[in-house]
Amino acid sequence: MKTCLVVDDSRVVRKVAARILRDMNFEIVEAGDGAEALTHCRARMPDAVLLDWNMPVMNGLDFLRALRREPGGKAPVVVLCSIENDPEHIHEALRSGANEFIMKPFDADILESKFAEVGLV
Amino acid sequence: MHDTAFNELADLALKGSGQTLVPSKAYLISARLAPIARREGFGAMEDLVHCIKARANPVLVAEVTAAMLSKDTGFFRERDQLSHAVNDVLAARLAAVPGKPRVWCAGGSTGQEAYSLALLMAEAGLTEQIELVSTDLCKVATDKARAGVYNHYDAQMGLSIHRLLAHFNKLQSGEWQVSEALRTPIGFRVHNLLETASGLGKFDVIFCRHVLSGMSRTARARVAEHLAGALQVGGMIYLGRGETFHGLTDRFEPARDLDGVWVAAGTANTAAARAAGG
Repeated sequence: MKTCLVVDDSRVVRKVAARILRDMNFEIVEAGDGAEALTHCRARMPDAVLLDWNMPVMNGLDFLRALRREPGGKAPVVVLCSIENDPEHIHEALRSGANEFIMKPFDADILESKFAEVGLV
Repeated sequence: MHDTAFNELADLALKGSGQTLVPSKAYLISARLAPIARREGFGAMEDLVHCIKARANPVLVAEVTAAMLSKDTGFFRERDQLSHAVNDVLAARLAAVPGKPRVWCAGGSTGQEAYSLALLMAEAGLTEQIELVSTDLCKVATDKARAGVYNHYDAQMGLSIHRLLAHFNKLQSGEWQVSEALRTPIGFRVHNLLETASGLGKFDVIFCRHVLSGMSRTARARVAEHLAGALQVGGMIYLGRGETFHGLTDRFEPARDLDGVWVAAGTANTAAARAAGG
């Protein structure tokens, strides 16, 4: 079973995403901000990360850049989510190491479609 | 919705588009017609149906017929077929024969199928060398297809972020519009598949996916004949998963290399040899 780390400061968003991803056969680990997510990754690299952009303590982009510098940190497929979806923002996310980008709000169909685009399902 | 009103609508659909409506989907039909009923000032679906029966306004009848159709589509649906058409069939056709091959999305709805093909052609550097036509019975869907504007849900279904950024522009409204380079070469037209397609010319590749499955047997057979008439010698037709020409017409047979691909009867062996470079 593949693991997916779900990183979002909203507990509700995490629960909804986790539920959808469990239906897609992922084992789920949750984190409330980037720093917490990084701790999880150091203990065990996930196969995928569903990552919110705007979070307290350490935001998604800072986490992503830090993750890619970690040993083995280039391996996880990272899908960044944001309500900010201007092309410049999205380009910045991709330059920082995101594999895919989801414009919020999303539903199960979009999540599944985007995970399929990066070969996770 | 009352049974009599549903039966009237089912009759209208069968005559106008060949679609068979089942009573269990009456709620879906109500939902699809609700905007028209509201705009025309009818409180109940029955009133809209009575109005059509009493004084058949052809514009309203066409609109109601089109609105009852499923518009369900998405970018890169059954993408192995799309890439087979562009990267194998059309690329081989371009290398072998001079002239501009023509592709038809029959029942192309709101344009995602045509734009997916256009995108693959652009990625293969073939945009200028292939003509692409997309038709649908529904004028509203065809107008939407021509505009190429999609909300953030549609723009994320089947489309990678890389392709979205490369081929779409974000509008002030927050919607995404297909680039002019991809849009302008495609011919979007209103066309009813129950009518002859002779006005559209001949095509080397025809996509007619998830269109036949909702139709009556008579309508399917009629559409199959029209598609056969529009297929260029050596051309290929793509049907949706689970759809077949078997029992409808003997003018096609399955191609050897991919499910859902059909060629003119008696040519599957030569088509397979051509695809293999023989």
